[in-house]
Amino acid sequence: MIPFSKSLKLSAIALLGVTLCADAAQAPQRIDVKQMSKKVENVVVPLPNEIFGALNKLGSVNWREFVRTEKSSNFTERPRIALLLGTVIADGFIAVQAEDAPAVKEIGQRVLNLSKGIGVGNSITPHAKAITEAADKRKWENVRQELDRTQSSVQAAMNEVHDEKLSQLVSLGGWLRGTQVLTSVVTKHFSADGAELLHQPDLLVHFQTQLQAMPEFNLPLIRDIQQALGEVRPLVDVGSAHISAESVRKINEITTRLDSGIVTRD
Amino acid sequence: MNGFTKISLQISLCLLVCFALPRGAAGTVDDAQSFALQAAEPYIKEGFQVREDYWGGDLGSGEKKAVRQQLFKGNEYWFWMGTEVERAKISVHIYDSEGKLAEQPDSWEKGHFAAAHVIPKGTGSYFIIVAVEESPEERTHWALVYGFR
Repeated sequence: MIPFSKSLKLSAIALLGVTLCADAAQAPQRIDVKQMSKKVENVVVPLPNEIFGALNKLGSVNWREFVRTEKSSNFTERPRIALLLGTVIADGFIAVQAEDAPAVKEIGQRVLNLSKGIGVGNSITPHAKAITEAADKRKWENVRQELDRTQSSVQAAMNEVHDEKLSQLVSLGGWLRGTQVLTSVVTKHFSADGAELLHQPDLLVHFQTQLQAMPEFNLPLIRDIQQALGEVRPLVDVGSAHISAESVRKINEITTRLDSGIVTRD
Repeated sequence: MNGFTKISLQISLCLLVCFALPRGAAGTVDDAQSFALQAAEPYIKEGFQVREDYWGGDLGSGEKKAVRQQLFKGNEYWFWMGTEVERAKISVHIYDSEGKLAEQPDSWEKGHFAAAHVIPKGTGSYFIIVAVEESPEERTHWALVYGFR
């Protein structure tokens, strides 16, 4: 038998436990997603290094193979600059994965020049400096954070002057380059888990919807991307089935072609 | 002007300025974001990279909002929510694309902070449901940030 004083103590402990548990309100085990889908907030496009991090956990990747520092063509069309800017920021994340400090610094300068070309250079100067400093000290986490800040600042500056559509193209450029590298890696060393990282159908819908709302950007490259996203979508929208090696290879071909269109003049 | 008068005048001016400024209710989503980031701070030391982008808005007491986000199997995610309304109670929960609760048991809620932890079983879209459970304000600003490692 438990003495009263001990029982009182046990009750107090139990009550405290209940109170602490009650701090986290019981969440329903299930929700009606169809009902929720109607009132969904804006999508935040994942950063390339979010995908690269998951890819790295599946096995070592030779990131140096994907580092790219050569200067791409110079463009005057702002949508093209925006797409290229997103691609170059993604190249920055690749150079960080490869821990290639000179490449990171070159890419930082390239980002600054492209930002100037699109009229938002002022907001990027401190980030470009911070990227160079962190790369010199080989503080890769700081470089990653600064690349994210760079993209965020570019897009905030664009949004401020009501260039939201250009801001969306920056995200799209980064996503396309990230997907190209992801599919290159998975094509070389195929695994179902690696291919599953391509299971992003809602993001494709998001980009397609955004591109449809940009009729003013009547450029062949934008039309190509729009059509290509339509080709990619059924390859990744497979429900609970696996994404095949053949699909990964096809997506790699498509994104490589688009990347080439983004970095080179027609 | 002697020292006492000078100090009294300075204190009066300070009080006047304090009461003349808009009070808590005039907070913004940016204020809410700084609280969400405050909740995220301890996790940065554990290797989580917190994204610069965030979601935010305002909700009435008892209102919910859904955010859909692409998550990748292999990564680990925390979503941190905050509001500047200190007497508000908020919550955040994560569901998979089928609508099944997907968060880890160490997800937590503490007044005007809340956080949900998820280690995705599959790559795809997840629903993050944010709610203002209780608040003394008619509308309560909220912000949601996320980090991954």
